[in-house]
Amino acid sequence: MAVVEAPPVPAADADEAAPRARTWTRGLGVAVPAALLALVAGACFLAPLVLPVPSPTGGNILEAGLPTGSPGHLLGTDPNGNDILSRILYGGQTSLIVAVTVNLLGLAVGGTLGALSGYVGGAADTVIMRLLDVLIAFPSLVLTLAVAQSLGPSLTNTILALGFFSVPAFARISRAATLSLREQPFMAAARLCGTKGWRVLLRHIAPNIAPQLTTFGMLGMGVVIVIEGALSFLGLGIPAPAPSWGNMISQGQASLSATPMLVLWPSLILFVTVLAFNLLGESLRTRWSVR
Amino acid sequence: MSVKRDEVLTADPAEPAGAAALLEVRDLRIRFTRGGRRVHAVNGLSYRLDAGQMLAIIGESGSGKSVSARALLGLLPSSAEVSGSARFEGAELVGMPEREIRRRRGRDIAMVFQDPARSLNPTMRIGAQITEAIRAHSGIGRKEADERAVELLKLVRLPAAERRFHEYPHQLSGGMRQRVVIAIALAGEPRLLIADEATTALDVTTQAQIMQLLVELRERLGMAVVMISHDLGLAASYAQHVVVMYAGRAVEYASARRLFGHVRMPYTQALLGAVPLLEREPHAPLPVISGQPPDPAAIPKGCAFRPRCASATGRCEQAPPFSEHEPGHWWACWHPAEDPPGGSGGSGGGGENGATR
Amino acid sequence: MTAVAAGRHRGVGGRLFASPSVRLVGKRLLMAVPITLGVSILTFWVLNLIPGNAAQQLLGADATPEQIRAMELQLGLDKPAPLRYLDWLGGAVTGDLGRSLVSGQSVAGQLGERLAVTGELVAMAFVVSLLLAVPVALLAAYHPNRFFDRLSMFVSVTGLSVANYVLALVLVLVFAVRFAVFPAIGFVPLSESVGGNLHSLVLPSAAIGIPMFCLYTRFLRGDLVDQMQGQDYVVTAQAKGVGPWQVLLRHAFRNSSFGLITVVGLNLSTLIGATVIIEQIFALPGLGQLMLQAINTRDMAVVQACVVVFAVVAVLANLLTDLLYAVLDPRIRYGSR
Ligand SMILES: Nc1ncnc2c1ncn2[C@@H]1O[C@H](COP(=O)(O)OP(=O)(O)OP(=O)(O)O)[C@@H](O)[C@H]1O
Ligand code: SF4
Ligand SMILES: [Mg+2]
Repeated sequence: MAVVEAPPVPAADADEAAPRARTWTRGLGVAVPAALLALVAGACFLAPLVLPVPSPTGGNILEAGLPTGSPGHLLGTDPNGNDILSRILYGGQTSLIVAVTVNLLGLAVGGTLGALSGYVGGAADTVIMRLLDVLIAFPSLVLTLAVAQSLGPSLTNTILALGFFSVPAFARISRAATLSLREQPFMAAARLCGTKGWRVLLRHIAPNIAPQLTTFGMLGMGVVIVIEGALSFLGLGIPAPAPSWGNMISQGQASLSATPMLVLWPSLILFVTVLAFNLLGESLRTRWSVR
Repeated sequence: MSVKRDEVLTADPAEPAGAAALLEVRDLRIRFTRGGRRVHAVNGLSYRLDAGQMLAIIGESGSGKSVSARALLGLLPSSAEVSGSARFEGAELVGMPEREIRRRRGRDIAMVFQDPARSLNPTMRIGAQITEAIRAHSGIGRKEADERAVELLKLVRLPAAERRFHEYPHQLSGGMRQRVVIAIALAGEPRLLIADEATTALDVTTQAQIMQLLVELRERLGMAVVMISHDLGLAASYAQHVVVMYAGRAVEYASARRLFGHVRMPYTQALLGAVPLLEREPHAPLPVISGQPPDPAAIPKGCAFRPRCASATGRCEQAPPFSEHEPGHWWACWHPAEDPPGGSGGSGGGGENGATR
Repeated sequence: MTAVAAGRHRGVGGRLFASPSVRLVGKRLLMAVPITLGVSILTFWVLNLIPGNAAQQLLGADATPEQIRAMELQLGLDKPAPLRYLDWLGGAVTGDLGRSLVSGQSVAGQLGERLAVTGELVAMAFVVSLLLAVPVALLAAYHPNRFFDRLSMFVSVTGLSVANYVLALVLVLVFAVRFAVFPAIGFVPLSESVGGNLHSLVLPSAAIGIPMFCLYTRFLRGDLVDQMQGQDYVVTAQAKGVGPWQVLLRHAFRNSSFGLITVVGLNLSTLIGATVIIEQIFALPGLGQLMLQAINTRDMAVVQACVVVFAVVAVLANLLTDLLYAVLDPRIRYGSR
């Protein structure tokens, strides 16, 4: 009688340490951009408090146009004699404040609207989504420019205008996520138990759509920083003497060939910040397997 | 050759005494690495299949049926490590270079998948999907291929074949789509067709029709069939031989006739337990076995069925060998079941220790 | 064979209006109307948020109340906003978009040429980015996680994080200042010289197109890999024994292309919006530049017209992608059972 090789059934512990490299790099995917962002935010908000950072405005005209690496002005000064590093740090405060508040606005208003719309369904859903379609079809930069012009450029108006246009995207995502949740058995169970609508929304829907909205919010942070930069670049965002990455780039454009660093420094920090938000968003997306 | 089936199988599935087998799978092992964990999907699977025969592979969900079948075509993701041996007409499929195995796909071995709604390309016409399969292996012209495709659609009894040729998958019903998938599989005139739960997604009537079609094609074309299923009733009514898989291993193998009269493995018994043999409604839901199948990332030592087995003893902490304990009947168990009293009784009791090395 | 051949050309004309795609096209066209109306109302509302704004801004801060009042009467601003909107709309549908408050010229007359420049810029950026993205994504997805794939993903994630105005300035710095290969500013009309025209648009369209290229590449590569690894029909195709390129092109790419169309559609308005700032940087006489000038001179009639035109173009472009979808996707073209 022949024997087929009796396989010693592989036991779990018979196995060498399985490769852990991938989980390890995955952790890095979140940690590196998060650390980068912490660094940028820390530098912008804390450095001016604890270090002798010169004022970003009202610079001494005698110190105008100092090159990178000058004593007391690490990145040099602009044609008005303002310290470039200081302007980048204070400008960063504006950019980050705008990005955070705009996304929180969009998240709160859009997220709620979308979840409600998806949860209630029916005619209300149709009407809300059609209205949002109007906004989505719109080149938002164009209308934001018009709004900024109409209301006059200011920090608050920039936030309001950008917040307004971030609503539809958040609403769409939250609606789609809510719709797919509605099919889940636990939702039917919650409804059968007679749980009140708002409780279902808060206890069941909100925590489940949070990952989608958070990932999108991360990508949204990058988008808002870029658009705020564009508004300021065009002189319709943060009004002039106050620093912002966008208006620094715009001012530097005038002497692009002579002193490119005036453009390149704020551009670099803008790029790094946006990249970090994008990478963080991407990593969270894979981690939470959000589509 | 007019040999009785049971006699053919007296030979070792791995070292056949009789005519060379069409397919010999021997100690096939497949593991995946996912997220830092090793998943042992197949842990030593052996069976053999002769030309023109139908073999059923049954087992619970996750027991490694599909993975072992895809391995024969080299269609596993790159995260899979395959070892052991699978010989098709003597040619080793494990580790065969991609180019060579690609030439064999569809021409030597073809495959039909579970979900006909997903196994056709939604953006291509039916006809183009079949002619693509035809032209993959023969240099025939477009016109000839078209004609051949319509012939194939007729062969699988798709109503209005000429019209369907120009339609898209979403315009067909589930049963019709599965017929198309089968037509695609037949395009390369394979000697082996693997039907991986080809009827699971279909309603009962359609299921019977498709099975009937497979049986008929097997007879007409002399093509061997491996049918993968959870459904013992289905296996009993169509296949000549049955392999029962548990946690990636073959645990019992015999001719269908023999197996259902003389079940030895407690696991197979449990599979059958809920419903009486053969008389069982052919498409009833799976019998429920208490307990969970083992996590393929942490398969228990010894007999993998031990945690769920009523007959388990201390001895079961050693892995039982999979060997031919009775002529043509293979199993891996220290405490095989007896034939039920009044039953036809086991023929020739192979000493169970004869198998231990 | 005759049966096969005959079936291929089954009555197309007769069923035209019963066809699901024609119905879908009709529905989308109908929907474009309220969306366009909504957009114009929104614009009108936004530009009139502060009553008296237009007259005040036009006259400057030291205008007397009487002057402002007179200006408002002259501009018809004394009428309630809804009425003014209806007046405007009545003009707009007949092609009269009002007169510039600053120059007194007809707005519609100014728009034509401007629109052509912007249109050319968008088209060039769009076509080039798509034409580059498709082969790059295919090559990357052919061997996922190999060097080329990683390189292309690195480039596209990086490229997506560069603001287009930054990119524009860097391009100018490199290709106009350092190596004087392309002009930094100025526009050569198509009528003057075709070569010169294209030459003058290279940098601006690159500034708009490169981020789009990155977006398309990243999406398409990701979707192709998903299709290749997760879809049963891909396994069916592989099991036929056809080669890997054929599986990628005939099967995965065909299916991914619908997702790509959706992504293109969703980002068209971003693409169009980007022209405003890029035209400003490169001094191109397009619609965006006109709008910015009008914003700076507080010429509300022109701003209003530009914003609405931008919106209408975006709506039409969206409509076009929807239609493309309907024409290409057999599931829509032939309806479902
Ligand atoms: N690509 C993969 N990576 C990691 N593990 C996998 C992969 N494919 C399959 N497995 C694992 O291999 C095991 C066997 O899967 P397989 O699909 O062969 O089961 P099956 O017997 O066909 O089950 P079912 O009846 O549900 O089809 C499962 O535990 C599954 O999780
Ligand atoms: S070897 Fe032991 S545990 Fe395994 S099936 Fe047989 S009796 Fe049960
Ligand atoms: Mg399976």
